Amino acid sequence: MANTTKIQTHQYDVIVVGAGGAGLRATLGLAAKGLSTACVTKVFPTRSHTVAAQGGISAALGNMGPDDWRWHMYDTVKGSDWLGDQDAIEYMCREAIPAIIELEHYGVPFSRTDEGKIYQRPFGGMTTNYGEGTAQRTCAAADRTGHAILHTLYQQSLRHDARFFIEYFATDLVTDADGNVRGVLAIDMNEGTLHFFRGHAVVLATGGYGRAYFTCTSAHTCTGDGGGMALRAGLPLQDMEFVQFHPTGIYGAGCLITEGVRGEGGFLTNSKGERFMERYAPNAKDLASRDVVSRAMTLEVREGRGVGEHNDHIFLNLQHLGPEVIHERLPGIAESARIFAGVDVSKQPIPVQPTVHYNMGGIPTNIHGEVVQKRGDDREAVVPGLFAIGEAACVSVHGGNRLGSNSLLDLVVFGRAVANRCAELIKPNSPHRDVASDILDRPMQRLEKLRTADGGTPTAQIRLNMQRTMQTDAAVFRTAETLQEGCRKISEIYASFEDVRVTDRSLIWNSDLIETFELSNLLGQAVATMYSAEQRTESRGAHAREDFPERDDTNWMKHTLSWVDDKGAVRFDYRPVHLNTLTDEVKTIPPKKRVY
Amino acid sequence: MAEFTLPKNSKVRKGRHYSAKPGAKQVRTFHVYRWDPDTGENPRMDAYEVDVGNTPMVLDVLLKIKNEIDPTLTLRRSCREGICGSCAMNINGGNTLACIKAMHDLPEGDVKIYPLPHMPVVKDLVPDLTHFYAQYASIKPWLRTQSAPPDRERLQSPEERKKLDGLYECILCACCSTSCPSYWWNPDRYLGPAVLLQAYRWIIDSRDEDTGARLDDLEDPFRLYRCHTIMNCTNTCPKHLNPAQAIGEIKQLMVKRAV
Amino acid sequence: MSAQPRQAPHDMRTPLKRVRGLGSAKSGLGHWWWERVTALALVPLCLWFVWLVLRLPHLDFASAHLVVATPVNTLLLILFTTIGFWHGQLGLQAIIEDYVHTRWIELVLLVAIKFLAVIGALACALAALDIWLAVY
Repeated sequence: MANTTKIQTHQYDVIVVGAGGAGLRATLGLAAKGLSTACVTKVFPTRSHTVAAQGGISAALGNMGPDDWRWHMYDTVKGSDWLGDQDAIEYMCREAIPAIIELEHYGVPFSRTDEGKIYQRPFGGMTTNYGEGTAQRTCAAADRTGHAILHTLYQQSLRHDARFFIEYFATDLVTDADGNVRGVLAIDMNEGTLHFFRGHAVVLATGGYGRAYFTCTSAHTCTGDGGGMALRAGLPLQDMEFVQFHPTGIYGAGCLITEGVRGEGGFLTNSKGERFMERYAPNAKDLASRDVVSRAMTLEVREGRGVGEHNDHIFLNLQHLGPEVIHERLPGIAESARIFAGVDVSKQPIPVQPTVHYNMGGIPTNIHGEVVQKRGDDREAVVPGLFAIGEAACVSVHGGNRLGSNSLLDLVVFGRAVANRCAELIKPNSPHRDVASDILDRPMQRLEKLRTADGGTPTAQIRLNMQRTMQTDAAVFRTAETLQEGCRKISEIYASFEDVRVTDRSLIWNSDLIETFELSNLLGQAVATMYSAEQRTESRGAHAREDFPERDDTNWMKHTLSWVDDKGAVRFDYRPVHLNTLTDEVKTIPPKKRVY
Repeated sequence: MAEFTLPKNSKVRKGRHYSAKPGAKQVRTFHVYRWDPDTGENPRMDAYEVDVGNTPMVLDVLLKIKNEIDPTLTLRRSCREGICGSCAMNINGGNTLACIKAMHDLPEGDVKIYPLPHMPVVKDLVPDLTHFYAQYASIKPWLRTQSAPPDRERLQSPEERKKLDGLYECILCACCSTSCPSYWWNPDRYLGPAVLLQAYRWIIDSRDEDTGARLDDLEDPFRLYRCHTIMNCTNTCPKHLNPAQAIGEIKQLMVKRAV
Repeated sequence: MSAQPRQAPHDMRTPLKRVRGLGSAKSGLGHWWWERVTALALVPLCLWFVWLVLRLPHLDFASAHLVVATPVNTLLLILFTTIGFWHGQLGLQAIIEDYVHTRWIELVLLVAIKFLAVIGALACALAALDIWLAVY
């Protein structure tokens, strides 16, 4: 960035930011539709964090027994604690079946049943007949399903000759005076040059912001860059208080151990060797949904029944499954447990603890992936030219709590939806409208400011402060006290970013600078998360308030919308939950008490 | 001719030394390859004395250096659990993933860290993998069929699916290819173990209908037959895959269809 | 490690163009196959040759001449030297292809080893025949 005045401009029909499952599915779909598409990604596609998804992808294929997408929908609505939009959930669960068949046709190496069909395993919260039995609905490629899917999607992108800009870091959305999104500004890390990607549409597929927390299953690169860009463009984020803690992150390291372990018959025990989930969820037991299991584990530890030297974690047992099942269906986690916990899973239990895993919240969109905002009386007016998909988005299909194996599904279903929508809206290779000459001024100012940041606090220090605060004050259980304390601290940390110091002044692969951009994205979302959690005075899904232990449908059956301005001040608004369904093939699932 | 010595501008010099903070208990010294393309200076080996308490993996040490000692140290990293393949590098002479290389597995003494061997360096520990990725693309690594797909999934028996085990798990970290002397000498024409493993993954997939064309594309003195069964690939693979065996299987199939 | 880009400044081909190069030669199996077949043949031939050579020092020239000149030994000797040169030539070719990257030197060497192998094999065969003809 020695010469910041020189910016290369590229013109494409659609710009996709991010090359994880959602970004790749959108990219290859767009390319297949004949739209000129650029996928701008800060890591090589197969390094995206979709690669780490293990257990599987849900769809009511019925390969293992009777199943129905309506049952899947019921489970998802119940899992969301009735915060999910039922029309969107209906769309996702119905589209799941063709989406998985499509993945198989693309070549995903799914595990197989004896009849040669896709193997499906039980997963948390997945039931048959509206909560009666246990469903085997989660399509698996051993315990490397995300890896199998991500690589296949990249292969399909190669097949469709999609254009990638790899190791380009998108810093900001470029919007015109009317609020239309006109493209993104990006840094080519390999050359240190600046690029303005102009598009008729921009698709944010940038993933979650797990790295706002100290211990998480997320990759180092999960820094919610799309959410940060949306906030800076003056757009709100939705339901940011809902952060999923996965019950089984490896103690200490935080690496994921799939829920598929419990799906295959593994179970949790406390220091007394008791299968305590039988007490908390008499029917589903260890396969209750994730928020329920994480809370149960936290309570066990809190009541002194944790295991280990400090009585601060829980054991996950799979010794009884036998080496054959482990080798065939769970080889990856056997390896992870050996490397990160020093455990031989055929002989010893794995030490686990609830670990930050997924952000249900994100950029609000409709079922086409179009980003929506309130405009006048229209609560869901489309932001022209902007789409969001995957973990970066909040459709909302996951509501207050996502069911395991619904996220890979979310990626492919809405990745495809965006490609279809763009094909409807955009004529391939249509001419680009002129942009004002000063359109890059704001993103360029920010870039210059960070590039030359010469304050007193290194990026890593501010990041650590943020992660510690989020870990302590926006945890599994929350109270007004911890959250108010958290709000105060996170605002201070947000303000401390003014004093950030970037040490690396180089042009090429300046990862110190990139991490600073990422930190700035994380900070906005950390603030949104803490303040959103503070204002929601009820317990729903993953948001568990000890001072408000019950769900409050009268006052809180609504989505939180939070804006964070450049000073870190938060503003709220709300959007009603869609209780209506999309078609008359299924009826609204009325709220009721959520027991597993 | 093959180059057996480093060109003048690639000779590695001694670099800076960062002493441990006073009071550090478990100090170990890490010698890390540094090269900054902006300065045009020759590469150097910087030495960092690090308090390695609470840093289970080599990646944790590198990030500790970056966070606490020298923010300019540059490397790729992402998942930190051995599945994304970003942090492939050469640690104490072997190619592996820094995130799953445990500190307690390293022998006593100083630790030496270089980028993946014989690749152009972009900066510090970041190699340029463009050519490697292009080789991957060149084998058309996607399901190639002619028969119209069925309404439901294509059927595949568990036995047929089992043949993909040990192949589809490849994470494209390039540890194997960059450990292969044959790939060092002929990277432009030899596909290397990682790409050949992927080629075999599609050749052996019961759903793929283009097996003959795939073999045709590989039947070349350089693309395939530069493999001399040196086995570095299999020995170094951080995912415990066996590219040498996959290449052997391809050669067997070549014989099978001709002899 | 080289701190230089792989691509020379005047080389503006795409990475895929460079990787695909001139396409597959659709050969190489023959070389691989015959390298192994000749190696297999050389296993018994080498053992036989060692056995033959170990016998000779105990004999005077005339007796040694007679031993070598038996029809079976002559045949085996011709086989051993021909296949040996053939195998050696295949191996040298692999080494040259591995390490020699200056095109004209590579070509000269590849042709030279072929000529030398043919000359060597013919010379050995003639020598063996000469010994045989001298006796019979």
